[in-house]
Amino acid sequence: MPGKKQRDDAPQVKTRLSGMALAVVALSAVLCLRLWQLQIVHGADYAAKADNNRFDYEVLKSPRGVIYGRDEKTVLADNRAACDLVMMPASLPEVEALSNVWFDAATVAGGGSRLSCIISDTLTRGEPLDEIVNVGVSDEDRAALSAALPPLEGVYAMCGDLSDIVSTDRERQFARVLRAVRNKTPFEQILIKEDISKTERMRIEEYSFKFQGVYTVARPQRRYYYGATGGQVLGWFNEINDAEYKKLRPRYRMGDIIGRDGIEFAYEDLLKGTDGAMIVSRYNRSVPQIRTDARGNPYIEVDSRGRALSEEERHEAIPGKPIYTTLDIELQQKCEDILTHELFAEDIVDTPAEGAIVVMNADTGELLALASVPTFDPNIFATTSADRGRITNEVMKDPKKPMLHRAFQTHYYPGSVFKVLMAIAALEEGVIDEHTSFFCGGSYTAGGATWRCWKHAGHGTVSVVDALAFSCDVFFYNVGAKLGPDKMDAWAAKLGVGVKTGIDLPREVPGQIFTPAEKAAYAKATGAKHPDLYKWHFGDTISMAIGQGMVDTTILQNALLMATVINGGKRVRPYVNLEIGPQVSEQLVHDNTLRIVHDGMFKCVDKTQPPSGTGRLARIEGLEMLGKTGTAQVVRMAQLKGRKERDIPYELRDHALFIAGVTNMTPRIAISVIVEHGLHGSSGAAPVAKKICEYFYLNRAKQEGGAAPLTVAMQEVGAE
Amino acid sequence: MSSIQRDLNLRDSHIRTFNYRNLRRLDWFLLAVTSALAVFGLTALYSASQNSGPDTSWLEIYYVRQGIAFCLGLAIALVIVCIDYRALISLAPFMYFVILGLLVAVLFFGHTAMGGQHWLPLIGPFNLQPSEASKIVLVYALAWYLSLMRERAQSVLYFAGAFVIGGGILILILAQHDLGTALVIPPVILVMLYAAGCRKRYLMIIGTVAAIALPLVFLNIDELPLDNYQKDRFRSFLRPEADKLGTGYQITQTKIAVGSGQMWGKGLGKGTQTHFKFLPEYHTDFIFALIAEEMGFVGGTVVICLFALFMLRGIALARDCPDMAGSLLAVGCVAILGFHVFVNIAITLHLMPITGIPLPFLSYGGSFCITTMMCVGTLLSVHVRKGYFD
Repeated sequence: MPGKKQRDDAPQVKTRLSGMALAVVALSAVLCLRLWQLQIVHGADYAAKADNNRFDYEVLKSPRGVIYGRDEKTVLADNRAACDLVMMPASLPEVEALSNVWFDAATVAGGGSRLSCIISDTLTRGEPLDEIVNVGVSDEDRAALSAALPPLEGVYAMCGDLSDIVSTDRERQFARVLRAVRNKTPFEQILIKEDISKTERMRIEEYSFKFQGVYTVARPQRRYYYGATGGQVLGWFNEINDAEYKKLRPRYRMGDIIGRDGIEFAYEDLLKGTDGAMIVSRYNRSVPQIRTDARGNPYIEVDSRGRALSEEERHEAIPGKPIYTTLDIELQQKCEDILTHELFAEDIVDTPAEGAIVVMNADTGELLALASVPTFDPNIFATTSADRGRITNEVMKDPKKPMLHRAFQTHYYPGSVFKVLMAIAALEEGVIDEHTSFFCGGSYTAGGATWRCWKHAGHGTVSVVDALAFSCDVFFYNVGAKLGPDKMDAWAAKLGVGVKTGIDLPREVPGQIFTPAEKAAYAKATGAKHPDLYKWHFGDTISMAIGQGMVDTTILQNALLMATVINGGKRVRPYVNLEIGPQVSEQLVHDNTLRIVHDGMFKCVDKTQPPSGTGRLARIEGLEMLGKTGTAQVVRMAQLKGRKERDIPYELRDHALFIAGVTNMTPRIAISVIVEHGLHGSSGAAPVAKKICEYFYLNRAKQEGGAAPLTVAMQEVGAE
Repeated sequence: MSSIQRDLNLRDSHIRTFNYRNLRRLDWFLLAVTSALAVFGLTALYSASQNSGPDTSWLEIYYVRQGIAFCLGLAIALVIVCIDYRALISLAPFMYFVILGLLVAVLFFGHTAMGGQHWLPLIGPFNLQPSEASKIVLVYALAWYLSLMRERAQSVLYFAGAFVIGGGILILILAQHDLGTALVIPPVILVMLYAAGCRKRYLMIIGTVAAIALPLVFLNIDELPLDNYQKDRFRSFLRPEADKLGTGYQITQTKIAVGSGQMWGKGLGKGTQTHFKFLPEYHTDFIFALIAEEMGFVGGTVVICLFALFMLRGIALARDCPDMAGSLLAVGCVAILGFHVFVNIAITLHLMPITGIPLPFLSYGGSFCITTMMCVGTLLSVHVRKGYFD
């Protein structure tokens, strides 16, 4: 009967089949369990790995914050778009045809590499393309070559046109296109020239019909508008190193730039901003080809093999915050110009001067100018040119130290400028009063030793006012002997001299006003052998009184001292970032003291009543200017005895210092000048203050039609 | 013998070998499972086809070609259903020597594709791969031999004879360096011998020898007469992470593809591993990775269960077949397909080293699709005789 089961043979087959069924179920279960393990247990891990595969994170670099002058009208440093000229061979009109013919030809001729070698060799030898056909190739190769030639010629001509405009090597350029076609990488961008000029870019655009597939990719590059002006104040930057990267990641990436000095260093945190990212889908083993639009924003169309890519996500970069500075950039320019050109041109010094100028708002501490000469152009650090390393290295190793800011990153003897501090300290301590006078016969003798006054004939009987006006050494020898080093140090520290001023720029040096204890500690620290070097001598006190020997101050500290005299005895904190605002102490010096010092310093500049003071060369009619000259010895006077000043070798000449303040104008400014090896404060540095004030209060105001804050003061001047 | 019975026999007698009425006795369950798997396969290939460029002609698109192959295979399967398998078995010795001849011919006239598969050029775009056909022929030849000699099932000679028959094919396939296909032969022989009732002792000896030999093979991989790429695949199986962009690359990327599918998958055509070309061969040997990535654990499990149902149904057909030769045919077909299924998925799930073994019904490849459908046809034809006497 059909349908009824009846087996004729092999009954064992039945039992064995059930064993097989069991095996099928067991194996299927194993596979399902493994699937569970991979997809459910470890699924999230693998999903993350798949995303890693799948996406490319293109960093959108945050533009560095702009550094402004006092307002948005003056830009000191910003980011310009450096345009790199690139070419994507795939977009070249001939390339599609070229690739096809090329590969056909290459196959026929037995290998693309040999063929392209022949072609590029011929081109490098400068022979015309059609002659290749006659260069030692077989008939077969020749046929292949002539098939390949027509499309190549178009590209070759284009490379020639390109080299005419941006002066690149025509043959090399062509060889790179050939290579791209040969390696089947026509979608990889070829860099033609980095950072092309505006003219070049315009000409490329003009002939854009010739240059299909040629375009520019922009990247931001730091630009310092005023070049070397204020170079040390603005600072410089370069790429972070490995150690820094380890410390600063993930905010910084390898190749990121970081400020190294000046504002770029001090405000790195603000200027840096936050990088964004563009998350792009990508294919296996391919590189997205980044382009930039007209505004320099990066975008993506294709990868290195020409496959279309899409942007999945975009986190825009947060640009760095702008910094508004206190710098009056024109004044800064003028200051640098005075040192570099004017002094030499007017024969005040006999070589182009080196030195520093501080112009500070005496009431707030705003630094209107902070000049140091020689200076350097920070733009040299911003370029990507091949000889950047050589140029920057040259500047960094320059023996004249252009990258050192001479106003606060190094210190000098203050010379007679220090007498202002001496006068304040002595008056405040009650060691002297307005009427105390000493006789100056040209020298001071104590304990069997003699110290000379600079004026060998002597000043006669002088009070503190005259002593400041004529810079009498003997008067201050007496004062110093009475005051002692500890009180000098205390008053210096109180007024911000010999200690850090707190300026918001890096690498400030404190200088030092030594006390006996500090001298011993210093000697110990330097390992001095001679016991004299550990001991405080009376002579040290005497030298200190006129700003020589155991005193080191910075030019900025001298400016601070000046500011204290004209702002009513307050200590200000100097600063360059307009937004951090002034920081002014309460009155530290009594009005009476200030009045006396004021009189002395006014008399120093004033020449209306003879004899005129040492700072008379700074005088400007109508300006109530205070001043104090200073001459800082570089070597002991005795060494140079009997030589004419201008015969002294440059590096042995005394430094010329001057501090000046203007009280009857707004803003009231304090000026501090050093002209290195300028011989005398009175002749070498005082004229600098005059030039600055003329420029700041008079000339520029006239140019601007008497505008802005100087109006009232100007009318007064005009009336005189 | 009743009159009806006689009528049936009479009617069978003059068109015994070819009877289109067999089509009325199709196993609809097996066909349904087959269709479900084929739908999964075509869907996966449809997804994979999205990667082909815009100028690909429609004849070159994976799922179109696979659809054509599938229809062709189905036609062949239905032809097989119409033919009495006993007639085919009686022709088995002849088919066996023909296939040996073709395998030899391939060695001399065939052209090689990537990975050592050998083809005989045929008309138009289609090529013949004799090694594929040899699997089916082996099943028929063994069914003929094992049922013919069933009286001596317990003897060593019975056992050895099967290996002689299979060995001829095995050696010729190995001569083509087609390791993937060669690997199918021994399991098919063993499963059919087991079903035919050989002594378990012999099977256990073979099993013990394999258990000792395999570790030795792994340890002395450098000494073996294998191609370098095959050695690399073994090595990278053992340490896939060591060589991320080399041969281990495929394993690592496969695991990422499967694992990242998680429970529900990334959705059809949204598999990132496959579509962004991180995973090579996703449309052939690694199609299961694509399914696991895009359809997730759910899709993967459904596919595995469908395969299990298919095999269990095949075993049930073997059980219900009235004669031993038919049972053995069914068992042989299940063995071929089962081996491919388990090994392919095990490779994809990193349970075995990579060998070029496609997944029935799902992997892209016309030749193998037709082999698969011939197996299905054979199983269906075994079902036709369910409940018949001899």
